[in-house]
Formats: sequence, C-alpha cells, structure tokens
Amino acid sequence: MAKVKAKELRGKKKEELLKQLDDLKKELQILRVAKVTGGAAAKLGKIYTVRKSVARVLTVIKQTQKDNLRKFYRKKTHKPKDLRQKKTRALRRALTPYELSLKSKKELRKQRLYPLRKYAVKE
Amino acid sequence: MAPKAKKPAATPAKSAAPKTSKAAAKAAAPPKVDAGVVKAKEKALRAKKSVVRGTHDKKNRKIRTSVHFRRPKTLKLPRAPKYPRKSVNKTNKLDQYCLIKYPLTTESAMKKIEDNNTLVFIVDKRANKPMIKMAVKKLYDIEVAKVNTLIRPDCEKKAYVRIAPDYDALDIANKVCCD
Repeated sequence: MAKVKAKELRGKKKEELLKQLDDLKKELQILRVAKVTGGAAAKLGKIYTVRKSVARVLTVIKQTQKDNLRKFYRKKTHKPKDLRQKKTRALRRALTPYELSLKSKKELRKQRLYPLRKYAVKE
Repeated sequence: MAPKAKKPAATPAKSAAPKTSKAAAKAAAPPKVDAGVVKAKEKALRAKKSVVRGTHDKKNRKIRTSVHFRRPKTLKLPRAPKYPRKSVNKTNKLDQYCLIKYPLTTESAMKKIEDNNTLVFIVDKRANKPMIKMAVKKLYDIEVAKVNTLIRPDCEKKAYVRIAPDYDALDIANKVCCD
C-alpha cells in the first residue's frame, strides 16, 4: 500500500476511514507474523510505515470528530468540559470582565463629581 | 374540627339575619346576587372567627407504631444531564488486532499444532481468556474449544488456543504464516 497522506484522509467519511483503519491493521498483523516466521526485508521495513499510517488515520478521525463536536456545541450554553476553555483553574474561577467593571454607587458618584481634568499650559 | 363544628351552627343563625336584612333593604335586587353576597359575608365571618380563636387542630396526628423514626421515602429523580461531561467517549484501544500479537513458531509450538490441534499465540498481557477466544474467532473464522494462558518470564502472555475438532490447526497455521 502506498503511503497514506493525511490530506487525502480528511475528505473521507467516517465509515471509509474506519474501513481503511481495519485494512491497515490487518496488514500490520500479517507483517508481524512475517517477522516471526522470517519474512523478507521489504516486509519488515513496511511495518514502520503501516504503523504510522494507522496513527495518521486515527488522528484524522479524532480531529474531525472533535471539530464537529465543537461546531455542534458552539451556540450552546452548556458545553462538555473538555470543549470549554482550559486556561488555568484559577483563571477559570476569576471574576469576569463584566464583574470587574462593576462599581459601587459611592465610586460612581466620586467619578462623576471629580473627573480627571486635563490642563493645558499656556506658552 | 371543633371550630368547624361550631361554625355551621353559628352561620345559619348569622346567615338568617343578614339574609332577612338584605332582603328588606334591597327588595328589587335579584336573588342570585343576594346569595353571592351572603356567601362572601359568611366566609369573612368564618375567617374572622378562626383568626380570633386560633385553629387548634388535634385530630390529624399520625399514629406511631414504632419507637424508631425512619427516613420517609422522598422523590428520587433520574439523571438528566444538561451536557455530557466528556464530549467523546474513549475508544477501545485493545481491539482484536492489538490483542493477538503474533503466533509462535517454535518447535514445541509446531508440535502442539500437529498433535493437539492447538495454535500458540503471543498475546497482549491485558488479554483474558474469553477475549482471546473472541479475537481468534473473529480473525481466523474458526471455532475455539478452550484457551490456556501463561505469562512468560519476559512478561509476554502466551495463549494455547485449542481449536474445535472440526477445524484443522495445521491448515490454519499454513494459511496464516505463509500468506
């Protein structure tokens, strides 16, 4: 089998990808048996490429799955926790920008009565 | 129930009085309106009485048949999550292809194939006998009689898979190894 490219994989549907995964794994099984029974060097070298192809297919599957889920949950208020912002634990619990901007009546009054003045010095 | 028992006795007397007075006052008013007004007045008087006297209801006490107080059964709602905690569930990483690594081709393994109709595999250490049975069935389309396992000193699991008598281990071995 020729080298599997991620670019080609991304257009495919999930069933196709899963089928390809199955085929690759079967091939890997055959190659492993060949290794034990003393196979040709060509076969043994192929093990590496097939292993990496399997990894590539799995990556594409997972990536498209996650992508679709994010699209699905985009407008919703309650998202699964792994689709939310990760940041850090402390940042997630920090005050929101709106909450930070809230001012007490006292503060608002002060701001209104004593705003920051700009002066110009006459030459 | 004591206040209520008293009320029906009291209200006829009271309702009689307002009724006659109302009838005397508004002779022209239709009887339906009269009854409505009278009823409202009755209700008001009753309410006033219960407020003034206080409601001392003794008759609704439960009978306790045991010394122990047992927690009463409350409503238990089933889970209805607003969002799944994990967006994607874990895939099974130990599928049939990962389970069975490769067959053994040592002399003793060959002997087992010929004499005992068994195949010998090196298998993932986390595999158990029923999993191995299922995997071999799926991969090679054969019936398995039983599986024996052991863990080798180099931490690999070896599985002796005895095949059902209507299949031949030698054929399968040839098909698998010389493909």
